[in-house]
Amino acid sequence: MSKGVHRFALLVACATFFLIIAGANVTSHDAGLATSDWPRSNGTFFPKMVGNLFWEHGHRIVATAVGVLTIGLAVYLQVRERRPWVKRLGWIALSGVVAQGLLGGLTVKLNLPLAVSAAHATLAQLFFLITVSLAVFTSRNWVTPDSSISENGAGVSLRTLCVVALAVIFTQLVLGATLRHSATWDQDLPKGLLLAHVGGAIAVTLILGATVVTVWSRHRTEKYLARPAAIAATLLLVQLLLGLAAYITRAASPYDPQPLPLMVSVTVAHVACGALVFATTIVLTLRVFRVLRVDRQEYVLAPA
Amino acid sequence: MFSKRARMWLGLIGALSLLSLASSCGPKPADDSGGGGDKNGKAYVSKGDEGSITGKVSYTGAAPEAKKIDTSADPACTSKSPNLMTEDWAVKDGKLANTYVYIKSGTLADGSKVGDWTFETPSTPATLDQNGCHYKPHVLGVMVNQPITITNSDPTTHNIHFTPKNNPDWNQSQPNGAASMTHKLAVAEVLVPVKCNQHPWMKSYVGVTKHPFFAVTGEDGSFTIKGVPPGKYTVVAWHEGGANGTEKTMEVTVAAKAPATADFSFGATALGQPSSLQMLPAIEFPMPMQMKH
Repeated sequence: MSKGVHRFALLVACATFFLIIAGANVTSHDAGLATSDWPRSNGTFFPKMVGNLFWEHGHRIVATAVGVLTIGLAVYLQVRERRPWVKRLGWIALSGVVAQGLLGGLTVKLNLPLAVSAAHATLAQLFFLITVSLAVFTSRNWVTPDSSISENGAGVSLRTLCVVALAVIFTQLVLGATLRHSATWDQDLPKGLLLAHVGGAIAVTLILGATVVTVWSRHRTEKYLARPAAIAATLLLVQLLLGLAAYITRAASPYDPQPLPLMVSVTVAHVACGALVFATTIVLTLRVFRVLRVDRQEYVLAPA
Repeated sequence: MFSKRARMWLGLIGALSLLSLASSCGPKPADDSGGGGDKNGKAYVSKGDEGSITGKVSYTGAAPEAKKIDTSADPACTSKSPNLMTEDWAVKDGKLANTYVYIKSGTLADGSKVGDWTFETPSTPATLDQNGCHYKPHVLGVMVNQPITITNSDPTTHNIHFTPKNNPDWNQSQPNGAASMTHKLAVAEVLVPVKCNQHPWMKSYVGVTKHPFFAVTGEDGSFTIKGVPPGKYTVVAWHEGGANGTEKTMEVTVAAKAPATADFSFGATALGQPSSLQMLPAIEFPMPMQMKH
């Protein structure tokens, strides 16, 4: 285990989070097609960063930086990491960022078809999952956990709860991404998708709420688990409020001309907070799998 | 290479990604506006008895005020158009400009449908200019396959982006000083939004029909559709408003060599009523809604 690798992995995860914010700005500003070419913008790698090209080309610059960082991390892992599966995860991260870049280019060249744009947004979250996981896997607490926490077999398995919560959050992120790419700011949101996203918010609240309550009720004193659970609960609350605020700011200026800084900033914050809820739940899930030891009850047949 | 558990996780992630892709695919709506008809129909030959449809489009009630657009994202726009205003409700003395009026369908005096005929596409291009970081004109009418010449008179780069439903999406960057570009729309569509993603406040609309029976109201709200064969027609006045515009419909009878009148009225009470398309947000919250300007 190398402290340097962990710090570098953390840097990549943070940069990826920043990249998600940059991407969200592109969508909210409707800047995805501010230039019709890719990878260059208006025929150059150094265009005048005015109008919405600031967001689109800025996103490309941040993406390039994340790509370079991911190459560095993958190589760093091959040199300093001993666990083969972590090394492989480094290559998977690199493949992910390359695929993500190509998807980004493809969606520009095809004039943002919904399927490709939604896939681009979805892969962004999957790549974020990988970078956050790498940061967890390379941490000291993961390599040499302070304790092993015992959980008796009674009740719902915390592992199951965490995995289900993670899957539901990811599905909700996909729904949100599809919703955002279905209509620009001056178009009506598709009702079915909007209702599905609201339903997803309820599902996430229920399942993540149940997970947090379970952690607190069983392992309140274990900071290793209780802390990410508390952060996830707080972020979830903020996220629900941001979701409502995003809808209200959009409805309050339905077809007004851009720029609409309030609507854009609230919506981007909603996307960013969604990514943070996802990241925190990833950390919680991985930690639960790492330290939770399930004690199986043994049953002995009573003598006849 | 991967353990059984790792393969299971990768499979799950892949399945979810495919699910997201599948959920985002859907059929495109059809649009038969613009006269409909058979593209192999007979060529219309003037009989010399054509009339016209004239009228005025008015706006009842207090007209929504134009809003000042913040163009500071591009200094070239600010310097050329320091007081750029929204153009969607161009009302002057109760008359509404930028309304697209066209014959949607109808029957000629001889019993044939307007869509049974083909009409010669003008070879003269229509012009759409980007000037002062807004489009001139704001609303434009063309026939199918009529060339549209696109020019950039601004000292900045624009991208011209046609976002139709039935025609192919088209997006091209046009730097300042670049030569004009030409675009054609092959399928009738009322109306095709045009925007600049570089300067997202820039919007224009292009009506595409298979016949020449369309007009755009001027500043005084008036319009004239010339050369209309005698017959009974459904005339539509379309004005941007809401997500997909608002339209008013009227039955108009055109007599031989005579003008017919078709006056339309839009307004606060009309907003969102006989529109063919939804204008309200998808979920209604108990909150004050801001009217479109």
